Amino acid sequence: MSPRTSKKRCFNCPSLHHRKCLAGKTMRLSSYKPGQKGKIVQVCGDPDFRLRMMEMGFVYGADIEVVKYAPLNDPMEFIIKGYHVTLRKDQAADILMNEPEKAA
Amino acid sequence: MRKELVVALAGNPNAGKTTIFNALTGARQHVGNWPGVTVEKKEGSLKHNGHNVHVVDLPGTYSLTAFSLEEIIARNFIVDDGPDIVINVVDASNLERNLYLTVQLLEMGCKVIIALNMIDVAASRGIDINADEMADLFGAPVIATNGKRSIGLDKLLDTVIEQASDPDAQKDLLSLNYGFEIEEELDKIETELHKAGVHDTFLSNRWLSIKLLEGDAEISKKIHSIPDHSRIFEKVDKSRKHLTEIFGDGPEILLADARYGFISGAVKVSVKVERRDRIDTSQQIDKVLTDRFLGPIILLAVLYTVYMFTFQGSEPLVKYFEFFFKWLSETVTDLLPDGLLRSLIVSGIIDGVGGVLGFTPLIAFMFLTIAVLEDTGYMARIAFMLDRVLKGFGLHGASMLALMVSGGIAGGCAVPGIMATRTMKEPKERLVTILVAPLMNCGAKLPVYALLIGAFFSSSKAAIMFLLTIISWGLALIAGKIIRSTVLKGPSAPFVLELPPYRIPTFKGLLIHTWERTWMYVRKAGTSILAVSIVIWAMMTFPDLPEEKLTPFDNQINEITQSFLADPAVKEFFNSPEDIEKFKEYQKNFQGKNRKDLAKKDPNLASLAVALEELDTTGRSKSEVGSSALMAANAYLNFSKAKLAVEGQKQRDKLRYTIAGRFGTALEYVTNPLGFDWRTNVALFGGFAAKEVVVSTLGTAYSLGQVDPDRAGDLSEQLRNEPGWNPLTAFTLIMFVMLYAPCFVTLVVIRRETGKWRWTFFAMIYTTTLAYFVAVTVRSVGLFFGLGVS
Repeated sequence: MSPRTSKKRCFNCPSLHHRKCLAGKTMRLSSYKPGQKGKIVQVCGDPDFRLRMMEMGFVYGADIEVVKYAPLNDPMEFIIKGYHVTLRKDQAADILMNEPEKAA
Repeated sequence: MRKELVVALAGNPNAGKTTIFNALTGARQHVGNWPGVTVEKKEGSLKHNGHNVHVVDLPGTYSLTAFSLEEIIARNFIVDDGPDIVINVVDASNLERNLYLTVQLLEMGCKVIIALNMIDVAASRGIDINADEMADLFGAPVIATNGKRSIGLDKLLDTVIEQASDPDAQKDLLSLNYGFEIEEELDKIETELHKAGVHDTFLSNRWLSIKLLEGDAEISKKIHSIPDHSRIFEKVDKSRKHLTEIFGDGPEILLADARYGFISGAVKVSVKVERRDRIDTSQQIDKVLTDRFLGPIILLAVLYTVYMFTFQGSEPLVKYFEFFFKWLSETVTDLLPDGLLRSLIVSGIIDGVGGVLGFTPLIAFMFLTIAVLEDTGYMARIAFMLDRVLKGFGLHGASMLALMVSGGIAGGCAVPGIMATRTMKEPKERLVTILVAPLMNCGAKLPVYALLIGAFFSSSKAAIMFLLTIISWGLALIAGKIIRSTVLKGPSAPFVLELPPYRIPTFKGLLIHTWERTWMYVRKAGTSILAVSIVIWAMMTFPDLPEEKLTPFDNQINEITQSFLADPAVKEFFNSPEDIEKFKEYQKNFQGKNRKDLAKKDPNLASLAVALEELDTTGRSKSEVGSSALMAANAYLNFSKAKLAVEGQKQRDKLRYTIAGRFGTALEYVTNPLGFDWRTNVALFGGFAAKEVVVSTLGTAYSLGQVDPDRAGDLSEQLRNEPGWNPLTAFTLIMFVMLYAPCFVTLVVIRRETGKWRWTFFAMIYTTTLAYFVAVTVRSVGLFFGLGVS
């Protein structure tokens, strides 16, 4: 449903001039299903958003578990660093993840 | 030793900072679960071992990056006021994220004491924290505390005094090594700062360098005031570019990453997590409360309960308040002679302020329910479930609270609603919410709706009310969307909302919370409302009708009085106008205990009074009184009616002659397409003081004298029979009242919360424009379909 296609988004991503953009080779957090767990590989988006995310604990290598989607399918609820937090799906799409582990 | 120590409390939202603050100072303060509820600076004092300690509760923040208002407030306090000690309250059960703020505090160079709070919760989750190890790693004392049970507070205060009195304490600040490249650039900037004459003060140059390297706007502004700043910024720009080239990321990201790196290292060393199958109670509760199907149903039920509780629960108290203000205005009316002073005090001050204060119980009940929703943590879930709906309109899940309070379920008030937007961290979304909140159906609009619905839609009251609720939501959302895509364009802020664990609120906390907010409302009513009430009263009172226009009315009243006195039926009771006045007084006192005494004193008047009562209630006499009294009573009744009619006309002409009346008349050109004449216009003008004033002003304008908004039956009747009034006119007026300029109290609050007159005027103008266009549309469509031709 997100209007931004992955290509366009990364084209606009201002802070990844040098680091290799990993979108396309990784999964987006927004495509995780409830109960799935994984590690953050990269956080895209404009610098303010990325910094905000990092401050809330969304750093590289952090474990995230998707708890559920809101009744209207957006936003999503996660557990990260031991607390529950919610993000809209289009923001979660900016968080690149590795392949999810099987839920315990 | 210093006489007074200044201690700042810093910490993440939901870390239990407020509980610690309350336990330390005993101050009345709220403890909530909604992230960021402590926006206001709260202070308290205490004595410990002969030291006066002044505690300042900083807003709860996740960091000190100066993203949000709270972060700026918290940081500026530390930077500008230089507290002796910062107590950093850390949620032990949520350590990593909480320690990010700790690292930032330590980096600033202030003396920090870490209060490891909620250690019991952490223990129950199998988290075992080695406080000594942690203290070593961070270079700051770590004290385990429990705010709710006041555990560890003495030790915390001992440490505060010990650290504050030791000038060498924490000299070896945590100096996080950011790695060779970054450190090199930081060194260069520090050197440049020294060259420019900036020396370590309370804030270290290292911290300034870090902030400059991060591109921090606030600090950059500060450095700009230094004469030699151009060289510093040249250096900073070069360093930023250099680092971005090497690492492919901005320095602010690199530094944040490094801080988290340090924290996870520290946590690994000092924390042992015992793996056990813990049950996350909140998550279990959420399985039901935010369930895809059950969640929305429960949400609706909760909102409905809030509504019922707020209105039905507060009803007796509201009645009591109304009774009080009525009594007050009656007493003052009796005490003061008829004239301008009485009019000012009764119509200007008591009615104006009383009209607003009369809502106090309702507001208190609403705040109580909101406090319950916040303190339990359910409010965040409401935002979670409704964000999808609201974000489409440029709003935010958290806007829900403000809109609900403002009258999302009819009967709120935009004043506390706008204040509630303080819980929102996103400036644009917050502003839009503030701007659309006045479109909701606040409690003051309800008497106007009640009047018009009662007059023209009495058969379908509930349906119309429901329709109005839907319409106000729809228009508020659309207006939000429009404002957001024109005046306030820009990407939406990230919706990063913590869903705090469910907690059982304490009774005391709820009461404190409710009291604080209600008191804020009352204070507002007492100050600015007083001033504007008087201004509006003056505009609706002056200038007075000139003598030559008043005399015809007075003559008419005289005539009526004379012919009444000439009636042979009343000769027995009344001989002069003074007798009439005397009887009025007599009739007023003729009740309760006095009845017997008065009847004994003057049986003649008593029989008349009884006859009048019987006529009034049953329309016929049970012949308990003599026929002469009955005839006189009949004559008296007719006389009263005739006199009231003339007096009503006089009041109406007076109103039309005032500034407001002329204004309303002049506006008829503009309001003709809406079907409003000068009377409606004046009423709408009066509604600027408070919307319910529309009812009483309409009463005056329709020659009924002042009409009590709650007993507007006569006015309803009158409007129904008035030419030009029909269901379409009524509905047009309802729509206009719903949407037009917020009352001035709301505007005052908008000014205060946005800090800009610009937005205050914008709110006033756009709402009125919207009201006008919607009203014109309603009327045109109605006329097109042949409605409203009476």
